[in-house]
Amino acid sequence: MANVRLTDIRKSFAKTQVLHGISLDIASGEFISLLGSSGCGKTTLLRMVAGLESVTAGGIEIDDRDVTSLPPEKRDIAMMFQSYALLPHLSVSENVRFPLRMRGIGSREEQQEKVAAALETVQLGHLSERKPRQLSGGQQQRVALARAIVSQPKVLLLDEPLSNLDARLREDMQVELIEIHQRLGLTTIFVTHDQEEALSLSDRIVLLNAGRVEQQGTPDEIYNQPATSFASNFIGSANLVPVEITDSAQGPVAKLEDGQVLHLDPNEAIRGKATLALRQEDLTLSANGMGLKAKVRTRVFLGARNRYVMSLAGHPLRALTANDLDFANGQEIALAIDPARIRVIAD
Amino acid sequence: MNDRTENLLLALPGILLLGLAFFLPIAQMLLLSISGPEGFTLAHFVRFLSDPYYLNILWRTVRLSVLITVICALIGFPLAYIMTKVGPKLRLGLVVIVILPLMTSVVVRTFGWMVLLSRSGIVPELLRDTGLVGRTFALMQTEAAIVIGMVQVLLPFMTLSILGVLTRIDGKLEEAARTMGCSFLQTIRTVVLPLALPGIVAGSLLCFTLSASSFVTPNLLGGTRIQVLAASIYKSVTATPDWPFAAAQAVILFVGILLVLVPYIKLTGAKHG
Repeated sequence: MANVRLTDIRKSFAKTQVLHGISLDIASGEFISLLGSSGCGKTTLLRMVAGLESVTAGGIEIDDRDVTSLPPEKRDIAMMFQSYALLPHLSVSENVRFPLRMRGIGSREEQQEKVAAALETVQLGHLSERKPRQLSGGQQQRVALARAIVSQPKVLLLDEPLSNLDARLREDMQVELIEIHQRLGLTTIFVTHDQEEALSLSDRIVLLNAGRVEQQGTPDEIYNQPATSFASNFIGSANLVPVEITDSAQGPVAKLEDGQVLHLDPNEAIRGKATLALRQEDLTLSANGMGLKAKVRTRVFLGARNRYVMSLAGHPLRALTANDLDFANGQEIALAIDPARIRVIAD
Repeated sequence: MNDRTENLLLALPGILLLGLAFFLPIAQMLLLSISGPEGFTLAHFVRFLSDPYYLNILWRTVRLSVLITVICALIGFPLAYIMTKVGPKLRLGLVVIVILPLMTSVVVRTFGWMVLLSRSGIVPELLRDTGLVGRTFALMQTEAAIVIGMVQVLLPFMTLSILGVLTRIDGKLEEAARTMGCSFLQTIRTVVLPLALPGIVAGSLLCFTLSASSFVTPNLLGGTRIQVLAASIYKSVTATPDWPFAAAQAVILFVGILLVLVPYIKLTGAKHG
């Protein structure tokens, strides 16, 4: 267990700069997610912490020790790869024992005890003599997890480890990751592009966009108080509607590009050009009630819910509704939203 | 016409060629090696295996082939490894450099070495001038010359065999090994080498069989004094000429190479089956 400190990390490949000065303080035992779309630099940042990628400028400290120029093997970290990277010529137990053997941790007997314990943790004790290729994807993934935690590294680095699993297994593994983190308390850096995964697993989320930190905070903060239009769109896929906010007799109102007007929370302070972040699940649709007029474009049946894609003031707008609401394509409908649920972001 | 007969028809030209140009001569050679003036005889084999001169040739052939194979592997593995790590342009350049010796005629290539290695050639001169060797030092007509010449010819077989296997190894495995405490060299030893083993074995078999049966390069660079088995067969045919004895030597070479190949085929066959 150790803290990790990144100071103004920059990275350039050839002439393109992919990380523009990222500073992060990660507390000992914290589970932190680097969240962002592909190409935002999250994996590069993780690989720099691992020592697999050189640092163009800036510093990395692990456990208050400068490791910026140390090779990976001297950093006392463990990394779990998206492709699991199990060694195909070694059995499951040899794979898990590998970091202990290479780091010279304990005697042979102690190593075998630790391997057995780690495999028990991921419930794979009975498969220890198999070769990786004889295991299913989910099992391989658990072996990779056992191998990552067996040496009790100072920092555990997870590079989209769940993205190759099907939905059911992914949920199981999320629970398993949370439990293992609670039990072992390893400082963990988790890279993902899946906002739900980041929200459910992390103590803190760092949202990256184009090589910069867009926003960081607890999952609750990130979800409920997105600071920028990018953050609100990325987390919860909120709809972004450009408006102009002015005062009226009934308090602040937002004027859409087509002239429609939406009443805002009386305490809203922002005026002028702004962006409204409207969450899909906060929108209430009705055939002829009060509210903004929008036109239905498509319905996507999701089982428990429906998703409607509408057109509002020329912009596509998505809403999640109960699955018994039935509107026809092209139908004009009314759109209502609780003013308290509207998030206003100044441009 | 069903699929079976169609396949057979398609394979026929190849089978015919193989039968006429390979199995027939081999069968004839086997027959010749055991035929004497009074019918069946093992005299030719006895003569070869009881004469220290010929045993020495056999031993030299095996020894040099092993040495050439080992040197090819020692150069070929790092070379192939580097080729997997560099960019596509540089890799292409390296591949061309590696296979270039195969594109030149064996005679031209060997004469090149004769020029370089002869008494007044550039290599011995340089070594003498720098004082690394004595005044009487010579390279031509030594086993060293044979090894140098053969390594150059056989290196592509080794390098390309290993390269084929190395390119299929997931680069993430090496990174994973590094994060698990392996230094670069430990990664090579514990991850890359074990996974590259099939390529190294295949390349080694190619190198060994080709160098054991090679004739022109050892003959030109080693001279008549330092003979290998293939050269001895040639001499028996042309100088004496003693066809049955030449056939017996060829059978010994043939069987020797089979003995090396069979375990390999069994091993790889077991893996796929």
